[in-house]
Amino acid sequence: MASDTQSMNASKRNSATSSLRHSQATRPASPHTPQQPIRSGSTSFASNTSPSSSFRSEDDAIIFEIGARSLRAGFEGNSTPACVVGFGPEDSRRAGDYRGWIQGSTGAARLPQPVDAEDWARAYELWRLDSREVDLGLVEDKIERAFRETYNQFLLTDAGTTRLVLVVPSLMPHPLLSSLLSTLFSRWRFPSVTLLSSATMSATAAGLRSALVVDVGWAETTATAIYEYREIATRRTTRSMKHLMQETGRLLTGLGSNNQDNTETNDGISVGFGYCEEISSRVAWCKSRSDEDTSSSKLNQTLSIPSPANPEQEYMDVPFSRFAEPTEKVLFASDIPEHEMDDEEKSLPLLVYNILLSLPPDARGTCMARITFVGGGSRIPGLRQRVLHEVSSIIDRHGWSPIRGKALERQRERLEQLKLSSQRPSAQTEAPKNNEEGSSPDEGPSDPSKEVPEIDFVEQKLRRQNKDTPVPLQGVLREVESLGPWAGASLTTSLKIRGMVEIEREKFLQHGLAGATRDIEHPVPDRRSGLRSGGDRSSWTLAGWA
Amino acid sequence: MSRPFPYTFISCPCADTPVPDPARKRRSRESPQKQSPQKPAPRPSTSEGEKKGTTANEQRDEDDEDEQTFDPRSPRSDFSLYPPEQLLYCEECHQIKCSRCITEEIVSWYCPSCLFETPSSMVRGDGNRCGRNCFNCPVCTAPLAVSTIENATGNGTQQGPWVLSCAYCLWTTLDIGIKFDKPTNIRSQLQKMTDATPPAAFDRSRQASRTLDSLKHPLSSSASVEEHGNARERERDIEHPAPKEDPTAPPMGADAQFAALKNFYRAQIAETSNSPNDHLSSDFGFSSPGALNRLMSLYTSSSRLGGLYGGNKKAKSKPPVMREALTASEGLQIAPKNGEADIIARLASPDCGWEGVASLDQRKAQAPNARFVGDLLPLPVLLRTKRAKRCKSCKHILVKPETKPQSTRFRIRLIALSYIPLPTLCPLAFSSSSALPSMAPTPDLDSLSPLRPIHVLLTLKNHMFDPVRITLATPPVTPGRVATKVTVLSPQFEIGANSDVWDEALQGASATSSGDSKSAGLGQRGVPEAGKVWDKGRNWTTVVLEVVPGTLPGSSAEGGDGNPETTDEDVVAVAASRKDEDVLEIPVFVHMDWDADAQLDQQNLGKASKADDKVTRELAYWMVLGVGRIQASL
Repeated sequence: MASDTQSMNASKRNSATSSLRHSQATRPASPHTPQQPIRSGSTSFASNTSPSSSFRSEDDAIIFEIGARSLRAGFEGNSTPACVVGFGPEDSRRAGDYRGWIQGSTGAARLPQPVDAEDWARAYELWRLDSREVDLGLVEDKIERAFRETYNQFLLTDAGTTRLVLVVPSLMPHPLLSSLLSTLFSRWRFPSVTLLSSATMSATAAGLRSALVVDVGWAETTATAIYEYREIATRRTTRSMKHLMQETGRLLTGLGSNNQDNTETNDGISVGFGYCEEISSRVAWCKSRSDEDTSSSKLNQTLSIPSPANPEQEYMDVPFSRFAEPTEKVLFASDIPEHEMDDEEKSLPLLVYNILLSLPPDARGTCMARITFVGGGSRIPGLRQRVLHEVSSIIDRHGWSPIRGKALERQRERLEQLKLSSQRPSAQTEAPKNNEEGSSPDEGPSDPSKEVPEIDFVEQKLRRQNKDTPVPLQGVLREVESLGPWAGASLTTSLKIRGMVEIEREKFLQHGLAGATRDIEHPVPDRRSGLRSGGDRSSWTLAGWA
Repeated sequence: MSRPFPYTFISCPCADTPVPDPARKRRSRESPQKQSPQKPAPRPSTSEGEKKGTTANEQRDEDDEDEQTFDPRSPRSDFSLYPPEQLLYCEECHQIKCSRCITEEIVSWYCPSCLFETPSSMVRGDGNRCGRNCFNCPVCTAPLAVSTIENATGNGTQQGPWVLSCAYCLWTTLDIGIKFDKPTNIRSQLQKMTDATPPAAFDRSRQASRTLDSLKHPLSSSASVEEHGNARERERDIEHPAPKEDPTAPPMGADAQFAALKNFYRAQIAETSNSPNDHLSSDFGFSSPGALNRLMSLYTSSSRLGGLYGGNKKAKSKPPVMREALTASEGLQIAPKNGEADIIARLASPDCGWEGVASLDQRKAQAPNARFVGDLLPLPVLLRTKRAKRCKSCKHILVKPETKPQSTRFRIRLIALSYIPLPTLCPLAFSSSSALPSMAPTPDLDSLSPLRPIHVLLTLKNHMFDPVRITLATPPVTPGRVATKVTVLSPQFEIGANSDVWDEALQGASATSSGDSKSAGLGQRGVPEAGKVWDKGRNWTTVVLEVVPGTLPGSSAEGGDGNPETTDEDVVAVAASRKDEDVLEIPVFVHMDWDADAQLDQQNLGKASKADDKVTRELAYWMVLGVGRIQASL
């Protein structure tokens, strides 16, 4: 489906700018002065400091990936977390309250009255990103209990003895981060907590240095462009799993109440959250294109699901195609024209396209060939291909230009005529083309292909010098599978790579988050604990979280 | 409502000391106004009883108003309320300890299924799971049994291929195409199978077998086993070439990919750190000066700008940079071109159906990409631990179990009930000749009539060997939207020491009769009087609480403070939306003091106010009495 456009893009973007950096960096060694003055300064500085805490016991660090809906925990070096623990009302019960066991699976039963979609999901999330709506004390209670039970049930080690690595989104409200850290530090005796950004870790777990990580998460979908392990841009949309769940809830509510008065059911959900989540995780799927013929033979099947009216006993037949509706409506917004959507609620393909558009061209070329989907939504079958397909069709239509509209069409026609009349000056129009003009769908692919033969001889020479090093793929839409942020953090930690943000217990307990230096160019602690001592340990930074 | 009525919960006092956050303190010192956005959005409430919140922030803000009423309805209080029997007591701190204010140390690991103790060195290697033959069914979590395939025929030859089978849901490992050669060491056999088989072929064959086996169960007859075996072989033959045909996208298992990535990164780090400069720190970021320098030189030395910085830059060697993974053997996995169309097709196909897809619970402990029931592997039983518990503040050991898994004994166990009085609650039943004839003989606690007073007997039983003085306090009106009026008729009383049972017996018939009176007949006790304890025994005292259940908001019984134009539908809606609001829970503040032996306490030894080494101790905590459920209408 997306292959034709990919190949076209490949020809278009054919590594004209293919990383100078890369070919440069791996040039064979030539005679050189052993050390740069600055560099030697930095190393001597590092080695002069006392080997503070780098020779720590070789206990395996414990890695927690924490999100609004669930928590993953396990040991470094493992490929999968030891456990995945969800947050729900069952976890907020009093000790000795065994109602959940009496009533059977919670949230399965039909609710007596439709409830507001936001309230419906509220009990099932640990926090909201809007910290005005969050009772931080309650969050602390929940975190404490979740961590304690995870340690006691799954990790089976003494809590607080080893280093803790937290994988958190790079944009996290400070009150939440502060609550999280102060709970951990005051409850247990963790010597230090390392923060790792989930997007970068996802890229690492895919084996990439640069990637576009699309995290279809609970509260929002974020697209983060990683370039050489650095987050260079991030965009987010509220089209996410929460809305998908709410939409599925509405769909099931509609199915349950057989009368088709949608106006009445639209404002409330009357199916249980647990039931809805079960349905959504099992059978939600995504069409490969918006106009896919759902009446085709294989998709015309009906599926027998537990009836929304009485999930414990009855089953009801539902056309399989209906389970693609929430995905279609929420994540792709196929019923809303693009200009109607607010900036914060762009559909997933637009999100991906927009962030690629906002990148500098060579970063864009690198990132678009390394798109990685993580998060709960990436499990929906067909979703990822659909996003890539739609992105490539947007690129076909508009190229890499943010400018839309009729005036542009007219201008392009004029330019085209201009070009037809004089073939020579095309060299001059090339300059603007890179900035704004690569847009025209028919011109874009054709022109660069003509101009490519004018080869950069430096590039050629470099290429000849490093024949053995493969040229990184650029400029085509390609999806790379990632093992997820948790696995990335496990990899990174097991390789003894230290994170930028390593918060030591004593430092944090003195000043809390406010003790972090605001200095962006903070001296990086040495990343390998065993080999060399850390840098300046007297201060610490929050780096990207500051 | 969490237990059958009536019930009691005790709030651990640690809830009053919130998590200290230095940053937050600092923030509040700088500008107290900034705290306001941190407060939770106030829940819509009409009752005046809810004016006090129990969140930590507010408590700290209004620390002048120290006496906060405990609100059992606050979502936070669910985390501090414990049944009395679950609490511990620290003898050093003289304080109740809940699971939040203790630290735990693992004494031993054991498998709950085979009760074998696992040495601590093996625990991590086994992935915190039993390394023997203990498995749980991936479908229904019942324990799996090792059995032969032939055991259906009845001859106990005990040979041939072995399978794991679930006695509850009849799932067997044959469903996923796994047989074992010998009945021992199943875990390692399984490991070998899941690792050695190329994951793609393995998965496919399992999927194929699943669809077949779902039609006829392999354990139903031996004939069908044969049939299935052949069918599976055929399927495997068909399926096998498929993954080989598309070398572009060989799907790797998560483990394989992880191992490949790890090897790749290892190799890369080794290569790049062999650079002459050996500056390890700049391998991964650009924050160090060296890395910045390299980054700069990247633009300078290759281009014409290089001249600006002099020629020596060109001579400098570039340290090799880590590259990204490029092949599948390095861990790079490109998403398959055809996408997940086959998954969608399989979801839609009638042989899969709802039951063919693994549920959330089933998937929880499985590989992250398991989607269908056929992808589920038997789960080795998760180990359990015996843990010693220490007081978090003074490190005093509170609980120390025996190491052996079979033993249920404890070497040390300081449970709180040995130190605090055990509260029990029961409704007071009146005989027909009672002064209040309108009262039902035994009020049905599951449907208390609003605005109709009931009496509840609260018995506190002392387990200490010292007599205890108790002061009870309760807010006159319960917090929350249902304003129930509560009066403790005799808030101050004493409970006798937990002396020898014989003492009571020897004291004579009078004490015995008073002890029996509760069960013998309550009618003779007369009516509850203010200021008098209801009943008293050797080490227990009963007092009466008078409770006037409030009206549910919006109910027809509501009089003054509600809006009268509400219908019965609204009552249901309100009660449903705010779950358990009709449950009548009374917060009671218990203050107890007693004269304890101070001989062990060095600090108080010198300045003991009382004679003969007695020191007064006190303990105060909140307790929640669950009385019953208020019905909506009168």
